[in-house]
Amino acid sequence: MTSFTVRAAGLALVLVSLHAGAQDEAIPRTGNGKPDFQGYWSMTTVTPFERPVSLGDKAFFTPEEFAAFEAERLEVEETVQGTQADVHYGFDDYGLHPSQNVRATNLRTSIIYEPANGRLPDMTPEAAAMRAEKQAWYAEHATDSAKNRMLQERCIVWPHNGPPMLPTGYNNNAKVIQTADHLVFMQEMMQDPRIIPLDGRDPVAASIGQWYGHSVGQWDGDTLVVTTTNFTGLTGRQIPTFSTDAVVTERFTLESPETILYQFTVEDPATFVSHWSGEFRMQKTTGPMFEYACHEGNYGIVDVLSAARAAEQETP
Amino acid sequence: MHSRLLIATLVLGLLPAASQAHHAFASSFDVNLPLELHGTVTRVELINPHSWIHIDVVNDEGVTESWRIEGGSPNALFRNGITKNSIPVGSELIITGYGARDGTLRAVGANITFADGRPVFFGGTKAPEE
Amino acid sequence: MPAAAAAATTPDLNGVWQAMTPAYWDLEPHAARQGATEILGAIGAVPPHKGIIDGGTIPYLPEALARRDANFAMRRTEDPEAKCFRPGVPRATYMPYPFQIFQTDEEIFIAYQYAMATRSIAMTDHMDAPFDSWMGWSNGHWEDNTLVVEVSGLNGQTWLDRAGNFTSANARITERYTPIDADHLVYEATIDDPDTFSRPWTLSLPLYRHIQDEPEFLEFKCVEFAEELMYGHLTKPSDTDNGVNDANGDSTND
Repeated sequence: MTSFTVRAAGLALVLVSLHAGAQDEAIPRTGNGKPDFQGYWSMTTVTPFERPVSLGDKAFFTPEEFAAFEAERLEVEETVQGTQADVHYGFDDYGLHPSQNVRATNLRTSIIYEPANGRLPDMTPEAAAMRAEKQAWYAEHATDSAKNRMLQERCIVWPHNGPPMLPTGYNNNAKVIQTADHLVFMQEMMQDPRIIPLDGRDPVAASIGQWYGHSVGQWDGDTLVVTTTNFTGLTGRQIPTFSTDAVVTERFTLESPETILYQFTVEDPATFVSHWSGEFRMQKTTGPMFEYACHEGNYGIVDVLSAARAAEQETP
Repeated sequence: MHSRLLIATLVLGLLPAASQAHHAFASSFDVNLPLELHGTVTRVELINPHSWIHIDVVNDEGVTESWRIEGGSPNALFRNGITKNSIPVGSELIITGYGARDGTLRAVGANITFADGRPVFFGGTKAPEE
Repeated sequence: MPAAAAAATTPDLNGVWQAMTPAYWDLEPHAARQGATEILGAIGAVPPHKGIIDGGTIPYLPEALARRDANFAMRRTEDPEAKCFRPGVPRATYMPYPFQIFQTDEEIFIAYQYAMATRSIAMTDHMDAPFDSWMGWSNGHWEDNTLVVEVSGLNGQTWLDRAGNFTSANARITERYTPIDADHLVYEATIDDPDTFSRPWTLSLPLYRHIQDEPEFLEFKCVEFAEELMYGHLTKPSDTDNGVNDANGDSTND
């Protein structure tokens, strides 16, 4: 395989996406006059979750800086045979490299914009201590049972499923279905439907925890505001873990027919010393979206546990 | 050789649990067990979270071994027109990669081509589909 | 089954629906019997039912019938439902869990509470199944007030019920959803699978709308409840129970 850089088409995409933010195009609307979010959306972005420390308080790139930054991030780097990095299939062989998916332009230097340094706030001392204790325990028991593996390895949830929903390495796409009273948002990986009623109903009892929390939506003009509570507080090895009292607020705005501005705020004083907020844009793409039946095809967890048990047999 | 996913490290690097997802490969497959397999396809599983290609390989002693080769999620392949018929049973493949630590007949396919050298999927030189 | 009322406009199937039949235990007529394990007592036992198959029993080919019987014998560990695997079509419709239909002009999207399985029924831009999947590939159209869905591309790894009844990957299912009033649908599924059955056959049952205020169903992803069954034999034998066996039942070891 040869390395390649973003082609001219990629640069043109940057310019088109910038123009789309000018909101000079009418957005599509559903029969009841609400913005129509339906379709397939790419969440692929080169914007990092947290701002690189070297960028300090620089919150935005210029368009030229972004183009250069994106080109560098999208370069397909060849791995060297016989190195650890080569012990993997080629992402671009499978169409899974970010350069092979449409991307919106995000001029922010990080998805997180609050705190002002673009990085996660510190965890509370209690939460940090609990996390350290769990990490130490897991280091000793990582392959003892399926329940000790990471939640994504068990095919339960990925960290990026949230909410808040975040870009991830690949299969960075989402599907939206919208009716008069519901929005369904489904990320390609893990492909659980987030079924969001739009009537601002009360949350369910606090004793009910769900992997995705419990979400309720309400319109604020043309912006859909989704409030999620009822997180499980469970981790497996999921870090950072939200407490059962966490509240995530998401805002979906159709900036143009081709872009959704997605913003979120996490409030969890039991876990973080302050709230944190982030935003990025999703870019319209085409479907269909194909089934992601993770648990059904999960040879990997059997392989990992079998290998661990076999290794124990060999070392008395 | 193949592309590495720099983005995953950057975007997910500060969510340590997520970046560790790929450590499953490091713990399963051994950089010190590089291999090149020439085999005949017996079964293709274009599934998630990883695809698997099953091949019969005749080893140096003339014994036929059944290997399974781990690959990527097929969802982008489907979006680009690959179907379940794209790798017919009976196809001859060349697979370079690394073997499993536990010694089972399992490998991660770093590079997969048909016997005539054609890439099976995108081969790393495919233009982005946009 | 009551005759369907004529509709002047396309029916609105939006809402939360659920079947109310024990056919998920066994599609065929059956007496009450012990379940796959006696550990749960009467809670795990199978209630009787007249069956929901037109014509009585499933017309298996002889070899397929033997496989069905083998499935039945192994059902405690081999039933895909026990493993929290996506149930496929038509099983997803009559499992004892609700599902929600979201209807647009381009597609009808169904989310099932069980395993949070989903399927998209394309109402425009029909294409053939590019690959096999657990929930199949669905193309739909309206015939008067009946939603007709053609399902193909099933992977042959799903069962039809908890008694080991099954179809092959070559099965083609035709579903029909017909409203008979605002809160009731008649559901029919015709299964055409010459590899397994001597002729096509049809099952049918009513579907009932959840009529309470603010209907919704909560998350039932179920993987964590299947792990002991599926992977327990790979768990490290341990002298100390550092939560390895999930003693507090919270699905994680912490």
